Formats: sequence, structure tokens, C-alpha cells
Amino acid sequence: MTDAPLLDMRAITKSFGGAQALRGVDFSLKRGEIHALLGENGAGKSTLMNILSGVIVPDGGEMRLDGEPVGFADPRAAQTAGIATVFQELDLVPSLDVAANLYLGRELTRGGVLDRAAMRRGARERLMALGIEFDLDQPVGELSVGRRQIVAIVKALTYASRILILDEPTAALTAAEVERLIALTRQIASRAVGVVFISHRLEEVPRVADRVTVFRDGRVAGETSPKAPQSELVALLVGRPLAELFPRRGETFGAPALRLQGAAFRPTSARPGWQAPRDVNLSVRAGEIVGLAGIMGAGRTELLTALYGAAGPGRWSGVVEIAGERAKLSSIADARGRGLGFVTDDRRGAGLSLRDSVGRNLVSAILKRVSPGFLMSRARETELARKGISLFDVRPPRLELAVGALSGGNQQKVVLAKEVLAEPRLLLLDEPTRGVDVGAKQEIYARIRGLAAQGFGVLVASSEMPELLGLCDHVVVLRRGRTVAEFGPGASEHEVLAVAEANEQREAV
Amino acid sequence: MTQAVRESLPASARRRLDPLSVAVRFQSVIGLIVVAIGGVIFSPRRHGVILFLQPDNMANIVRAVSETGIIAVGMTFVIITAGIDLSVGALLSLSSVLTATIMTTAGLGLIPTVLFVMACGAAFGAAQGLISTRFRLEPFIVTLAGLQVARGLALVISNNQYINISYGDGPGLAPPSFAILGDRLFDNVVPVATLVFVVVAVVAVFMLNFTRFGRYVFAVGGNERAARLSGVPVTMVKVSVYAITGFVSGIAGIVHAGQFNFGSANDGTGYELTAIASVVIGGTSLFGGAGSLIGTVAGAVMLGALANILQLNNINAALQLLATGAIIVLAAVLQSLVRRREGFR
Repeated sequence: MTDAPLLDMRAITKSFGGAQALRGVDFSLKRGEIHALLGENGAGKSTLMNILSGVIVPDGGEMRLDGEPVGFADPRAAQTAGIATVFQELDLVPSLDVAANLYLGRELTRGGVLDRAAMRRGARERLMALGIEFDLDQPVGELSVGRRQIVAIVKALTYASRILILDEPTAALTAAEVERLIALTRQIASRAVGVVFISHRLEEVPRVADRVTVFRDGRVAGETSPKAPQSELVALLVGRPLAELFPRRGETFGAPALRLQGAAFRPTSARPGWQAPRDVNLSVRAGEIVGLAGIMGAGRTELLTALYGAAGPGRWSGVVEIAGERAKLSSIADARGRGLGFVTDDRRGAGLSLRDSVGRNLVSAILKRVSPGFLMSRARETELARKGISLFDVRPPRLELAVGALSGGNQQKVVLAKEVLAEPRLLLLDEPTRGVDVGAKQEIYARIRGLAAQGFGVLVASSEMPELLGLCDHVVVLRRGRTVAEFGPGASEHEVLAVAEANEQREAV
Repeated sequence: MTQAVRESLPASARRRLDPLSVAVRFQSVIGLIVVAIGGVIFSPRRHGVILFLQPDNMANIVRAVSETGIIAVGMTFVIITAGIDLSVGALLSLSSVLTATIMTTAGLGLIPTVLFVMACGAAFGAAQGLISTRFRLEPFIVTLAGLQVARGLALVISNNQYINISYGDGPGLAPPSFAILGDRLFDNVVPVATLVFVVVAVVAVFMLNFTRFGRYVFAVGGNERAARLSGVPVTMVKVSVYAITGFVSGIAGIVHAGQFNFGSANDGTGYELTAIASVVIGGTSLFGGAGSLIGTVAGAVMLGALANILQLNNINAALQLLATGAIIVLAAVLQSLVRRREGFR
């Protein structure tokens, strides 16, 4: 009995319409094991996990839990069996506060009345166990993506007595939070819970996983030890050796596209949780890719949105120069007029109109150029949209397809292409590869570099240190709204992190 | 390899048609055809003549829907931006009162009067749009208040009396040419009110589908944050769509006054709901970002034709309401099915 694996899935098949999503997949999980699941978008890992958590019913195959054959008709059945999932799309209610979300559906009551005090106490204890401080009264919708993720994980932990499925839990977390999450995951596994850990970040796999399974095209491409070299994992993932994840760096740079010196942005009204840029010194030259590092809450997104005039009412002080000219950047119109382009980290919420077609999304930022007059020029629109598709090799290359039907990686390409079509002189990118698989990442990096080579200046904010160090010509570290250090291409991840996370305690006061 | 992909574009660009989404796309047109066929089948006959198909009857249907139809056309713009405008019926009433009052007292002349009333409607709508965007209020609330204000203004101006329009060539008399709105043209078949509806619809189709402004409207409704970040003038677009509903309500009010030869502060009640129903039946999503004016027009005519058949058969008004309700639910269910089938992750 104890020899039987906790979970044993055999020959699982599933097809959607004509598309075969799973072609006979075997997957097993032991008690206390952290099993990493890798695969590009569409490889079938999400489908398999959806079957395990009762969201989807398989077409064929067998599933055993503790040796007993099982099948879940709905998510509730899986939950009852002790299986909980933290999905990428977090199932939280934005308008409710943290405590209410943690107890959603299992509210504590006292004589039929909500026992808020007890729920707050419980919520605080559970968060404290993770070493996370939260304002429990804050609506979840006002939290950053990263903090929302943490709430969702803590919430799922209440159900996961046997199996916890984490679907890209670290996609939005900072290095320090990732460490905390890994430690927590280990702690959960040590209670004989099996953990399935889906990730796009190859570099964290050796640190978290006991075993790695790689999916490709609805099959298991291979199982390997987490200590296997990254190149081996990548080869399994894409089915061929991938030359180089990062393109060659730039060599010659032009005049500064952006120069900030002692720059600070003061919002008209105070916003809690919004780290205003306070003292920023950096410059981005034409042809240069500059990285913006910093832990979550350091003010990376805030800096980019404030530069783009999208941070709401407020004003810049200090030196803010675009292409050598002083700029106010007080509105999106002003920023765009000066040649700034911005790609949000929230492509579904703020980047794309999901039900609209790829073509319409692509030209939505350049409608003035598509039709300078009153009338739309369909021919010109199609021409420019095609150009956008080929710029980033969006697949499938169909303009009329609803953009929401594309894979995450291709949606991200559309968001990027949309801004690039506007031909900005300075491109501000916030997490340009969030939730994107390795193959698409490589393509996106290559294309960003190609754009820089054409004379674009690029400022990239990212929580993925390898991405910043691999892609950028230099990296600026932001801490509590201030630039505190600058590193050249040779810097190590450790060095940058040390600066980014230094003095947290002292400055937090 | 990428070259091959690009070359195959035109072929692969052809949309694979999903029968259900096609049905929803043209649901109101299909509905209109169904209702028309039903009309032929269930129509009372006299001497073997199908009454439903009589030119007189057809003219009655399209005349009866012209006012709400005109309003529904404007409403389509608002709903595509994921907004709503509840003030339109009251604004129609206010416009009819204004028209009648000016015609019978100020003696401004036909064209200036009409332009003035339409401008008032547009200004009223734009004011609602400005308040809604400036103070970040739900359009539901702002236009609900607007409904009360418009109705109140109409009552004040008219002193809660019918303002009858008499035609002639002296003080207190309206220009006789205004009475044309109640006439029919082309061998006494095509109502002038319907012609106004057609013109409004054609101009609107053009604006929504062939101008940059139309694209902005879809962009704002599809994802407002994305539109804002893309440099779309979101506030201008929102104010404009409410100005459009105000403007068309002004036109509808003028048509109303012209058809019935009076202005009344108590008319147009519930028109906003009929207009919204036409839009929804026409396949425009209340979530915004998607919609069609052809659908709205067909939806409006369909509701009119349905009412007509029931009337021809002397079926009481309560049943008409039930039928309309059922159709709205059906249209909404179909849309929801398609949304679910698209299943966007």
C-alpha cells in the first residue's frame, strides 16, 4: 500500500475538437515529492493538470490515487480528495479583502454571523507563517500581481491535503519571494503532500524539484533529474537544441534617447502601495537595451508608467530629457508625441482587447497613421497589421483571428508588435516575457535586440534576473524608487540581487 | 520557412465559419426573417389577401419603429463602449417639447429650429458623458439622473400641457413644410419618419465601420485600459458617444413632434428599454467591444413586426411583452453560448 505512488496517471488521452491535446500520457507523483512539470505552451501540461483537478474529464486512460482508481467529475470532487490547484488566472475576488478571499466559500461564522475577527486572525497567522506582511483590509484587486499570487497560493493550501498543483507560481515573484515560496513548497512536501510544480523558469527547477518531467506536443518528451544541465532540458522542451537563448549584445550606441538625473515623480495625491520614483539617474542611448532590476515594490512598473504619462495626475521634477529635450511627460499623449512606447506587464488586462482580432489589436496604437484623415483605410490597415505579424512572427499569422485565441507567447508578441509598429524612439517594456515559454522567449529577445540595432532605445523592467543580465547592455538597480547601482554585462546574478535586496529592513522603517 | 508561412497568408486568412457564431452574428436578421415568415403564416386574410403583406401594413411597421430605431442606432455606439444611456426616451420628449415650443412661439424657421434642437440633444448627451468621465461615475447613474432632468425640463417648458403645432404662415404657426414628417412619399408608401431612420442608420454604419472614430469606439469597449495605453483619446470617445445618443434623441424628438403635431412631456416613456432591447437582440454585447448596427436595425424592425402580427390577430398587449422578453433572453443566451465556445484562456 505505501509502495503505491500517491498518484499514478496512465495513458491519459484528451482531444478538443480535432486537436489532440494529450496523446497517452503517463505521470506519477510520490508522497513528499516535488515534481516539476515543464513544457512549452500547448504541450499539454495544463490539460493534464486540469484533468487532475477535475476541470476537464479525460477521453481515456486511468488515474489512481493511493492505489485506488479515481475520476473527478468536477473541481469540487478533486478538492474533496485533497487536490488543490493554484491556477495562473487567480481565482480571487478583486473587490474583497485579503482575509475574505482566504476564507472564501468556507467563511467562519459565529451564531450564523460572519466572524470577521477570527478570520482576520487566521489569515494573519497563515501569512505570518510565510513571512509575508499584508494589509488584510486591502481589496485584493488593489494588490500587485505578485502579491495576488501569494494570496492565491495561501488560499489553495487550505485544501491541499494530498496534492498541491502550482501552475507557474513564480512567474510574477521577485527573487526573494521565490526563495520564500520554494522554502514553503518544501515545507508542504515534507508533510507527505505531493507537489506538482509547473514552471517556465528553467533556472529554478534544480533548486525546487526532486524530479522533472518534460512535455512536448501532448506527450512526455522525457523524464530527467533536476540536476541535468539546462541545455538538456531546453533540448527536451523544444525538440531540438536551442542555439542561444540570448542574442549578441549591441556594440555601438547613439545619442541618449532618455536621460534622467535626480528625476522624481510626485503624484498629485498619495497612493498607498505605489512606490513613486524618487531619485532616478539613468540614461538609455539609441540602440541600447537597459535593464531595470529591483525587488517587487522597488518601483519598476511605477517608473515606467510615470515616464509614459500613465501614472495618473502628478509631475516630474529633476532632469527628464527625451532625445536631449526637456519633457514633462504629464500625459500619455505627451509621452507618445515624444516617441515613447510602453508595453504593459498585464497583457490581458491592459494590453489587448481579447475578443477583437489580431489585426485590429495590432493597429490600435497607430490608428492615426493608418488613417490620417477621417476614413479608415482598410488596405493600409491590413498592410501595417501584416507588418506587425511578420515583425514578431506571430503564429498563426491570421489577422482575423481573435487575439484571445492565441497562445500566451503569441499574445505577448502581438502586444510588443503593436507598440513597435508605432515606431517609438524609446520603448518601455514591463516584463516582456511574463508567462511565455522558452522558445517564444528566445524569439522575443532576438527581436528586441534587432529593434535596438535599428536605433530604438529600450528600457526593460523584469523580475527575472537572468533575462536582464542576458539581454541588456547594462542593468540599473532600483530600490524604493531610487537608482542605487549600475552593472555592466559581466555582472553576476548574485551581485545584482545583493544590491537590490540590501538594506530592506532598515529602509522599510 | 517564414517566407512560406507569409505566402500562404491569404488562403489561411479565410475565417473558418462556426455555424453558431454565424447564427449569432446575424441573429436579428434571422429573427426578422422568422418573424416575417410567421407574419405571413399567421396573418389574418381578407378576400385572400394577406393583410400582413399589405403595403399599408408594412409602412405602418417601419413607421412605428422609426423613433425607437433612430435612438437604438445611437445606443449601439454607447453599448459598444460598454456604456448605457437611459436618458434617451426623456430626451426625445424634451426635444419634442422644444421643437413644438420654438415652432409655435419663436418663429425661428424650420432649419434653425431643427438644428437647434439637435444641438441641444447633443449638448445634453455630451454633458452626461463629461460628468461620467470627469467624476468616474457609472453611466447608468448619470443617465438615470439625466432621464429625470430631461423629463423635468420638458415638464417645466411645456407646463405639463400638450403643445399643439398648427401650420400656417403667421406668428404662432409652424412652417407647413414641417408637417412632411407625418407624410408618406413615393405613391404614399414610404413614411418620411422611416426615411429619417434609414438616413441616420446609413450615416451611423459609415461612422462605425469606416472611420477612425468608429475604431476608437470598438477599442474603448474592447479594453479601456489597453485603449488608453495605446494613445486612444478615451475620454473624447466616451463623451462623443453620449453626444451621439443625445443627438439622435433630438432627431427622434423632432420626428415625434412632426408625426403627431405636438410636443409632450409625457411621451417617449420606456423608449430607452425598447432601444436597448433592439441593440441586444441585434447582437451587440453589453460587455462592450463587439456589435453591429445592421443587427440593431434588424432587431428594431423585428420587434415592430412582432408587435404588428400580434395586433393584427388581436392578441393582447400583455402577450406582446411576454414575447419580447422571451426574445431578449434568447438573444442573450445565444451570445453567451458563443462567448463560452470561444473559450478564451
